[in-house]
Amino acid sequence: MDKHPRQSVLARFGQGLAPRHQSRSIVRHLLAGCRTCQAFAARLLHGDYTAAFERARRAVEPFRLSLARERSEAPELLRALAAQPWERRIAAVSADPAWRTWALCELVLDAAQEWAFQDPARALDMARLGVEMASRLDAGRYGEERVNDLAARAWAVLGNAERVRTDFRAAEGSFAKARKRLRAGTGDPLEKARVLLLEASLRGRQRRLPEAFRLLDRVEAIGRRLEDSALCAKARVVQGLLAGSEGEWDRAVGLLREGISLMGRMGADAEPRLRVSAHHNLALVLTESGRHREGLEVLERTRPLYLQLGDRMSLIRLEWLEGKIELALGNLDRAEALFLRVREELARHELGHDAGLLLVDLARVYTQQGRAADLRRIAAEMLAIFRSRQVPGEVLSAVILFRRAAEMEGITLGLIQELRHALEAVDKAGDC
Amino acid sequence: MATLDHPELRESLNNLLKNSRPRLERVLRNFEIPPEDAEDILQDAQLTLLYKWDKVRSPESWLIGTVKKKCIMYWRKRRGSLCESVDTAILDLLAVPQAPDQEKTDLSTDLSRVLGRLSQRCRSLLRLRYGLGYGPTEVAEQMGYQTSSIRKVTNRCLAALTRQLLAVGFQREFVESGEPQEDG
Repeated sequence: MDKHPRQSVLARFGQGLAPRHQSRSIVRHLLAGCRTCQAFAARLLHGDYTAAFERARRAVEPFRLSLARERSEAPELLRALAAQPWERRIAAVSADPAWRTWALCELVLDAAQEWAFQDPARALDMARLGVEMASRLDAGRYGEERVNDLAARAWAVLGNAERVRTDFRAAEGSFAKARKRLRAGTGDPLEKARVLLLEASLRGRQRRLPEAFRLLDRVEAIGRRLEDSALCAKARVVQGLLAGSEGEWDRAVGLLREGISLMGRMGADAEPRLRVSAHHNLALVLTESGRHREGLEVLERTRPLYLQLGDRMSLIRLEWLEGKIELALGNLDRAEALFLRVREELARHELGHDAGLLLVDLARVYTQQGRAADLRRIAAEMLAIFRSRQVPGEVLSAVILFRRAAEMEGITLGLIQELRHALEAVDKAGDC
Repeated sequence: MATLDHPELRESLNNLLKNSRPRLERVLRNFEIPPEDAEDILQDAQLTLLYKWDKVRSPESWLIGTVKKKCIMYWRKRRGSLCESVDTAILDLLAVPQAPDQEKTDLSTDLSRVLGRLSQRCRSLLRLRYGLGYGPTEVAEQMGYQTSSIRKVTNRCLAALTRQLLAVGFQREFVESGEPQEDG
């Protein structure tokens, strides 16, 4: 047998890094059955990890300090950036690396997600800014794969903002980019789950429900693996919304209650928006399925949470739900007053799709009151809203049919119900 | 959880590493990661955790899962090139034209002995490759595989052969005498 190869050469070979001529002589040596070298290779792989842990810990420390500094500077940078006109913000981010930090980018993306519930137009601007920042982050400083993770998050946040504005085509493109960046990222399952969760909401609104459920199952599986009960709860809540959109009331109530129960494992103050969303939708599903007394109970229990959250969109949704309950209880005047107020707010926030849905509730009030002229007016308004949006053909057909019936004074509660189902199937895809 | 700029963060991180270390070590050992490469894996996982600290709810589960994934990726990358090195080396050795007969016989005997420890399928496949010099398409035809899947099957067999050569993950004993030469 040849003499043993050097340890360093054997180690390099073991890592697949030895040059060809060295590999040849080592393989010949090993083919001859050198148990000593085999054992050495095995020992190489079973050494002591103490130094590795210590060196890794020390190497991370400077990054912690630098990131802490970035995080402390980020809120002030965001304020300064937000004070500039939109075009100047993008230009500033493109021109000056001082605006391109990890912490600032994260802050912008968090703000974009937060604004999606309150001011979708602003959310869209913020999300675009986030994409610009993430695309220009210094990969040498933060690590290429980590930058790809953050860019994936940015595209998904933008896709979500586009979904909220019912621009499904743009959202589709953004999610495709998010998936691409995710593939080039660290493989962090949490990052993947966040993208999947937002994408599931888009699929729900596109009525691609089996796909949405599959995505949410994956989110839940990741949540369980990472012991992240908030993630599991989010997946369940969105599944509950989707089941509700299919009119599967009992299943929807079950899933929403499961989601709420999972939230019990989180800290009392954690994820207030998720809590409000879950309870709101439970109350909504109970009301829609005719269990409006139970719905009212849930709403009353949740009211402090809405107020605690305090953002305008949550309060609008609260009023809308109250209107639905008043309608179910037969208090038509109170329901109308609430719906009109909500309509005004939705229009102010340019939420045309939601405004269209609100008109359906208003139509129920007018039908019960026999107000044919008001029905004709809102039917025309509804058609204008949905014509200008990218809604599925069957939805538009339902709205056209509804308008014809209104012109012929043939609107019935049954027809409104059919229209509502067609529209809500597109709508109820979950905002958590 | 402490925020990143909170003075307690350093302590939180240190405690996390201290508490999760036995589990992390088990993962590294199970995946047979050499200690010098383990440092890179640990550092990269910790850095990513640091950047995502505010978003991760269960840092220990996250860290263990991430290190596991990185270990899988580590071997996926290296096993490929290691197996390729072994394959190329054997083909090179077999292709040497002026080797004395005795050397050729020895090589053939040694190769047969190692192949003899593999599964029937891998033995047949590698004998066609090394013994008869068949290319992938011919091997696929002879063994009844789709041409599209022969690469995957061949890679699995090469991995099995490499494991036999290096005894990685199979041979834990260490022979004290006659070690490979120290560097220098």
